[in-house]
Amino acid sequence: MNIIETHGLCKRYGGALRVNHLDLTVPEGTIYGFLGPNGAGKSTTLKMILGLVRPTAGSVTVFGKAMDQRSRLEILRQVGSLIESPSYYGHLTGEENLRIVQTLRCVPEQEIRQVLQIVRLDGQRGKKVAHYSLGMKQRLGLAAALLGFPKLLILDEPTNGLDPAGIQEVRELIRELPERFGMTVVVSSHLLSEIDQMADRVGIIREGELVFQDSLAALHAHSSHRLALRTTNNAVAVQLLEKDGISCSGEEDGYLLLPLLPDNAAARLSRTLVEGRVGLLRMEERQKSLEDIFLDMTGKAASL
Amino acid sequence: MTALRIEFFKCRRRKIWLPLLIMLAAQLAYGMYVFRDLDAKELQEGWALICYNFPMLNAMMTPVIAAVAASRMADIEHKGQTLKLLETVQRTGQIYDAKFFSGAIYLTLSVLIQVAAMVIFGIVQGFAGAPPVGRLLEYAVSTWLTTLTIFLLQLVLSLLIQNQMIGMILGLIGSFVGLFSLLLPPSFQKFLIWAFYGVLYNTGMDWDRETRISDYYFIDFDLGGLLLLVGYFLLVYWIGRALFVKKEV
Repeated sequence: MNIIETHGLCKRYGGALRVNHLDLTVPEGTIYGFLGPNGAGKSTTLKMILGLVRPTAGSVTVFGKAMDQRSRLEILRQVGSLIESPSYYGHLTGEENLRIVQTLRCVPEQEIRQVLQIVRLDGQRGKKVAHYSLGMKQRLGLAAALLGFPKLLILDEPTNGLDPAGIQEVRELIRELPERFGMTVVVSSHLLSEIDQMADRVGIIREGELVFQDSLAALHAHSSHRLALRTTNNAVAVQLLEKDGISCSGEEDGYLLLPLLPDNAAARLSRTLVEGRVGLLRMEERQKSLEDIFLDMTGKAASL
Repeated sequence: MTALRIEFFKCRRRKIWLPLLIMLAAQLAYGMYVFRDLDAKELQEGWALICYNFPMLNAMMTPVIAAVAASRMADIEHKGQTLKLLETVQRTGQIYDAKFFSGAIYLTLSVLIQVAAMVIFGIVQGFAGAPPVGRLLEYAVSTWLTTLTIFLLQLVLSLLIQNQMIGMILGLIGSFVGLFSLLLPPSFQKFLIWAFYGVLYNTGMDWDRETRISDYYFIDFDLGGLLLLVGYFLLVYWIGRALFVKKEV
C-alpha cells in the first residue's frame, strides 16, 4: 500500500512552475529519500502533501484519503512533520514547547518525556529554547514531530545545522523508525550521501520535475563500469580499436572510454595497439559514482 | 477553549499585560494630577468631567498600546516560524480566533480596571451624586468596542506582515489620528476607526470665552455610531480572518 501518492502535482509561483506534474509514490514502511538541489521544489512539495500550500493543479492522497481543506486535519493526526527549519517559541522551555503540540494533538502527557529521551534532549528540557543551539532546536523539532508516534513522518532536511555527531545520531534514529515504531518516513535532503545512507526508496527532483523514482538499489544499478585508457595517440587508437570491433564511447580528460571488456579482449586490445605502434600509457577500470548519476540527473553538483 | 488556553500558555513570560498596565498607570497618574484640586462646580460636574477627559487619553494612548500588544502576540509566531507547525494540528481560522480572543480578554480587563478606577477616583474626590451607572456603562461599552476594533486591526496587520515595524507605525499614526480627529466634524470622524472614542462621547463641553469657564454635561449616547463601529469590527474581523486563512506558510 502507498502511504502517499501525488498525481500531476503542480505549484506555480508568479510565472514559474516550481513543482511540475509530480507523481510521487511512497510505499508503507519505507524511508523515502526525497533528493534534489536547493530550490528544486522539495519543501514546496512536502508543504503541499501537508496541505500547508494549495496545489495549482493535481492531487495528493495520504493514507488513501484525498488531502483537501476538509480532510486535512483528520489525516494529519497520523502525520508528524518538520519543515525547513524547526518551529519553536524561544521564550518557552523545550518541555513547554512540546506541551503545546502535545495538547493540540491530544496525546498523553508522558510522551513528552519519551520523545525528549529519544532525541536526547531530556537534560535540556527546562532550558529556554532561545538558548538552544541550532542542533538542539532541530532535535526539538524532531521531538515535536514524533509526538503521538504518527504513522507517517515528513522531515525536510532534518540534519540541517547539526554537527557530524548529531547528523549520525539523527540518521540512525530515522533508520530505526520504521522497525521500532512502524513509521513510514519521507526525508528530504540535498545531500546524496545522506539519502544513500538512510533511504530505501529514492525520488530525485530537478527544477520541479521528478527525474527518478525507484529503490536505492535501482539507483545504484545505474552506476555502470567502464574501461578508460590513455595512449600516446588517442586518435589513431580509436581507429585501430574500431577496426577490431571495439567502439569508443567518448573521451574524458585525455582518456578514451570503452565498455568493460573481458580479460581476453583486453589482452587483444593491448596487442592491437602495440602492433599499430601506439603506446599504451594507462588502462583503468572506472565506475560511474552515485554523484555522477545525481549530476547527470539534476545537472548540478552532488551537494549544492 | 483548548486553543484559547494554549494561546495564554504561549504568551507566558511575554508580559502582554505590561504595556496595558503602564497605560493604565499613566492615565491614572494624569487623572490624579489634573483633578487634584477641584472646586465646587467641578465636583458638581465631576462624573461628566471625567467621562469627557478619559476618551482623550484613550484616543492618544490606546492605538500605540494595542499595536505593542498585537505585535508581541503575533511576533512569537513569526520569530519561531511556528505557523507551519500549528497549521498541521489546528485549523488556521482557530489560531486567528484564539489570538484575537486572548488579546481581547487582556483589553477587556484593562477597560474594566479603568472604569473601576474612575469610579473609585470619583468617590474619593467627592464627585456630586452617586456614580451614574448608565453613563459609565455607555462609556465602558464604547471604550471597550473601540479598543477591541483598534486592537483587531493591529493584530491582522501583525499576523499578515512579518515586519512588526509596519504595525508599530500604524499604531503611532492611529494615536495621532485618534487625538486630532476629536477636532474634526462628527460626520468625518465616522470614517476613522481611531476616532470612535470621540464619536461615542456621551458628554459635552461648553467653554465660555468671556468668563473662561467650561461646563461639562452628559449628552445622548450615539447608538447609530455604536452600530457603525460594530459593523467596522465585523468587517475587519471577517476580512482579516479570510486573509490569514488564505495565506500560505
